[in-house]
Amino acid sequence: MDSKRHGTVDEQLLRDEAVVALPPERESLNGYKPTVMDPEQFHAASEKILAAINKVIDGKAEAAKLALTVLLAQGHLLVEDVPGVGKTLLAKTLARTIDCRVSRIQFTPDLLPSDVTGVSIYNQSSRQFEFRMGAVFANIVIGDEINRASAKTQSALLECMEEHQVTVDGHSYQLGEPFMVVATQNPIEMEGTYPLPEAQRDRFMARISMGYPDKLSEIEMLETHQAVSPLAKVTPVVTSADVAAMIATVQQVYVSQSVKEYTVALGRATRDSARLRLGASPRSLLQLLRAAKATAALDGRDFVLPDDVISVAESVLAHRIILDRKAASSGDTPQSIIRAILASLPVSQDAGAERRSS
Amino acid sequence: MSAAIAVAVLGASLSLNGVFRGWVWLVPAITTVFIVGLTLAVLRALRVHPLPTTLGGLIALVFILDFTFFRPESIAGFIPSGATLDTLGQFLKRAGETVVSETAPVSPNAGIVFVACAGLGLVTVLIDALAVPLGMPATSGLGLLVVLVFPATIKPQGGGLLGFLAAAVGFILILGCSQWFAPDSRLQNDNSHGTGQLKRSMVIGGVALVLGLLLPLAIPGFERGTFPVGSRLNPWGVSNGLNPMITLGNSLRNPTGDGSITYATSSTAPVYLRSVTIDKFDGDTWAPDDREASRRIGPGRMAPDYPLPSELVRQLTVIDTGQFTSPYLPVPYAPTAVNGLSGRWSWDPETLSIRGEDGTTRNQQYTVYSALPALTTATLSQDNAKPTSISQDFIQLPSNVPDIVKNTAKTVTAGANGNYAKAMAIQDYLRSSQFSYSLQAPVQGGYDGNGMSVLADFLQQKSGYCVHFASAMAVMARLEGIPSRIAVGYAPGHATGATVAVAGQEPLPEYQVDARDAHAWPELYFEGVGWVAFEPTPSRGVVPPYAAEPVAAGGPSTNLHDENLVPGSSTPAPSTAAVPPLAGPGAGSGTGTVSATVLYVTAAALLLAVLAASPRLVRSGIRARRLRPGGPVLAWAELQDLATDYGVPPVPSETPRHFAGRLSNSAVLGAPVAAASPSGADDDAGQRAVASLTGDFERQRYGPPAGVPANTAAEQTHAASVRIAAVRAAFRHNASWFAVFRAEWFPPSLMSRWFQLLWSPFRRLGGIFAAAARRAATSVQRLFEAIRWRR
Repeated sequence: MDSKRHGTVDEQLLRDEAVVALPPERESLNGYKPTVMDPEQFHAASEKILAAINKVIDGKAEAAKLALTVLLAQGHLLVEDVPGVGKTLLAKTLARTIDCRVSRIQFTPDLLPSDVTGVSIYNQSSRQFEFRMGAVFANIVIGDEINRASAKTQSALLECMEEHQVTVDGHSYQLGEPFMVVATQNPIEMEGTYPLPEAQRDRFMARISMGYPDKLSEIEMLETHQAVSPLAKVTPVVTSADVAAMIATVQQVYVSQSVKEYTVALGRATRDSARLRLGASPRSLLQLLRAAKATAALDGRDFVLPDDVISVAESVLAHRIILDRKAASSGDTPQSIIRAILASLPVSQDAGAERRSS
Repeated sequence: MSAAIAVAVLGASLSLNGVFRGWVWLVPAITTVFIVGLTLAVLRALRVHPLPTTLGGLIALVFILDFTFFRPESIAGFIPSGATLDTLGQFLKRAGETVVSETAPVSPNAGIVFVACAGLGLVTVLIDALAVPLGMPATSGLGLLVVLVFPATIKPQGGGLLGFLAAAVGFILILGCSQWFAPDSRLQNDNSHGTGQLKRSMVIGGVALVLGLLLPLAIPGFERGTFPVGSRLNPWGVSNGLNPMITLGNSLRNPTGDGSITYATSSTAPVYLRSVTIDKFDGDTWAPDDREASRRIGPGRMAPDYPLPSELVRQLTVIDTGQFTSPYLPVPYAPTAVNGLSGRWSWDPETLSIRGEDGTTRNQQYTVYSALPALTTATLSQDNAKPTSISQDFIQLPSNVPDIVKNTAKTVTAGANGNYAKAMAIQDYLRSSQFSYSLQAPVQGGYDGNGMSVLADFLQQKSGYCVHFASAMAVMARLEGIPSRIAVGYAPGHATGATVAVAGQEPLPEYQVDARDAHAWPELYFEGVGWVAFEPTPSRGVVPPYAAEPVAAGGPSTNLHDENLVPGSSTPAPSTAAVPPLAGPGAGSGTGTVSATVLYVTAAALLLAVLAASPRLVRSGIRARRLRPGGPVLAWAELQDLATDYGVPPVPSETPRHFAGRLSNSAVLGAPVAAASPSGADDDAGQRAVASLTGDFERQRYGPPAGVPANTAAEQTHAASVRIAAVRAAFRHNASWFAVFRAEWFPPSLMSRWFQLLWSPFRRLGGIFAAAARRAATSVQRLFEAIRWRR
């Protein structure tokens, strides 16, 4: 009946979103089929990664977990905070724990797009142009202070992030899998920065903010970081194949109809909200659901709960929505508005809804 | 859906049986409702917008009414024309007259049937509009109530079981069908239980129906409500005097009636006060004939049109009407002059009844000089001639005199010789012990009122009040060739003990008459003597000496009252004593009262106990029903309700996990696990149960469909019950006694649901009104803007 029609509409919407946000969850393009891990293996691997990160960065378990979530959800991470709280450290640690190719780009105002993507150079001996890969050809790319580069360079990164490929001189080069960009940036009010345009912000699955460590963690940090960089002690704990398998596992996580409905309802609520000028895009909902799947997997479940959606909603949506001028001047932040929407959005958990969805 | 509505409306209209006489009205009613329902169904099937659908229903109503009632005057048989409107006016007038002047059952004349059909059709459209486009099927019961209210208030027996049952069945059908034909998803979102809805609503409705029918039987005194049995709602006041025959019965049954008349008379016996006479016995309803043509203004001097004997007994009566209000002036018979009236009054020379032209009897003080022929048995017995000196009006009978009346008259007067003997025979027959005086019997027997058919019923049942006795005697007298009429007025009443000083007279004894003394009696005409009053009503009034039975002739006295009602006796019988006790609170007979009371009290206590326990019973019923099929979803619902009962209601924007977390941290479930080192196994069990219930529910609700069949259904059921029991035990262990009591006896989860159910129609109505107001405001604003733009 009517409700059923509702259901199909929602599904259609989700499918549409998948079309909009090409490409969807991709299989590995590097030739091998990643195998799905069983829960114990998955849990053990994720625990190892998190433990390694937490050894380096004290008191930031939440941020570490979110970073891993984004990695497993095949998204890109934007770490935004004031200088000196360990943004780059987090990115580097995450990259180091995985046995894979890591590259680091320090964005500066004079950085050129070719520095990121690579450039064709004339080889004297072979008498032809050779493509020299740029820094982006890696599994994990750390883009430090991304908002210091010019818009031209920033957008060079866009194609890589979205399409997982680089096109130079008409040739397309595939990037490796997994591929993740971890960018850090200072808050846009800081001097000498080019703020990321909306379109580019939308490419990042989540934006996290490190925040200052608590007292004990800070004391400990002063102690351990005195002599030698903690990064030096970090050794890879998982292989890139493991990560690919983990990603495949995440893709297998089941999403029930009601969770999809809830996600869509959340997106619609942001679009209908009077305090927002721009609500969540369909792509953001897709990424939200992917992140939720990764969260569920990290939690040891093979299905998504509304709780998973809620736990990542703030990080995934906050940097995409734009406040209405009135709301901004009245002291609202994107985070606070998302929290308010979550608090007012009903989670259908009655028995009737269950029967309807089946 | 439309069919269900039609069934409901027709069912309710069945209860109108009894308001109308016969079943003639039923065919037009069925046609009307059916056509309107059909039109609505067809329009809806064509997916017409709701507003035109309702309008279409109204138009169909107009057409079908036109077709049924005004076919000749209409264009093409069903389109109203100007002439239709004229006829409509007449119809409405007739209906109005019927409503005002008749009592149930009324004759089904075209006017009143038209009004009834129009009403039923409108109710159909209204219910349809409420149930379908507005999505408030429950409220449509109001429409049915409208139909049911009429018979319930008008009909002496109440609405009637048949009509009530039929209407209830229809209502349940509406509720059931609304689930399938709901115009939008709102209804389904509210209570979407899909297929079982019809069955469930049937069961619930059936139970409610049975309860509603049984309750009045179980509760003592239920039959004495605002409308005691036999009384009628009369919005036009108790005594509008338009038809004294009808107000008579009402004022008798409502002894609290307004005001009382006091009078003082020079007569040796208290007098009958006569307001008006009724002499036309045709038609369905007898009413006074005012004879406008021959009325004369000014009752200062009155003389009848017929010859009077020379020997007259002259009397003087001073009357104060007080609050008594009627167009007809109560005077003792036969008035020769009335002085002291204010306003214009006219009188009818044939009947000597006095009517106000521009005033009523309210607050009148007047003096009546009356003259009565000196009547004795002897003078009356002389007359055997056919009366010639008066109008033939008083001897004419309609053709529809029932056979039983004719036969009775023939049998009763068989041995009598002469007009007086015949009259006495009729009076004796009616005063005999076969007949009993009762205000209630005619009402219950359905022959309250007057008219020929009523008379037949009365002679069969042999029970009634003055109107019936008087009209029976009058009709039977006419059958025997004696001119007769029915006088309506007041029986003598009782002495107040005071005296009134009248100029030129000795102080006169004062009498008081109130509504209980309202009376009707026959007057028979004897040539050479004039009109003579008789008293055929047993136990009422005073039998005049000429009409009293000669002891030798009558054999054993037919009426005990005769002895002490001999005229001239100093104490006129207060008629109150003679009125049989009404079936009232105090009327219970002595024997068996105690045991009956005990029975009633026990029944009431039992009922109260059941009522008080009902939330608990219903709640545990719900719990059992949820846990029987088991299933994590139902168990979860039960957990939520249980938590609500103990003060931790779920929040709509909460995930199951969050709710469980809040529950675990709340005081009612004991300390959280982390802190629960020595707190006892009970708390732990509760915590664990909540955790596993949550896990199961999440898996069931959000998990992959095939991921559940780990354990069998029976096992699941068992586990769910055990866990719920554990949670409950933990709750009871930790909550205060008050919380436990409330949760057990007045579970908030149930109460809030009931309240919601109760209020939902009103809330929705409120929402509709608010939306309408908003829309209106917007359009007004737009209008203003447009005006400003013009400028």
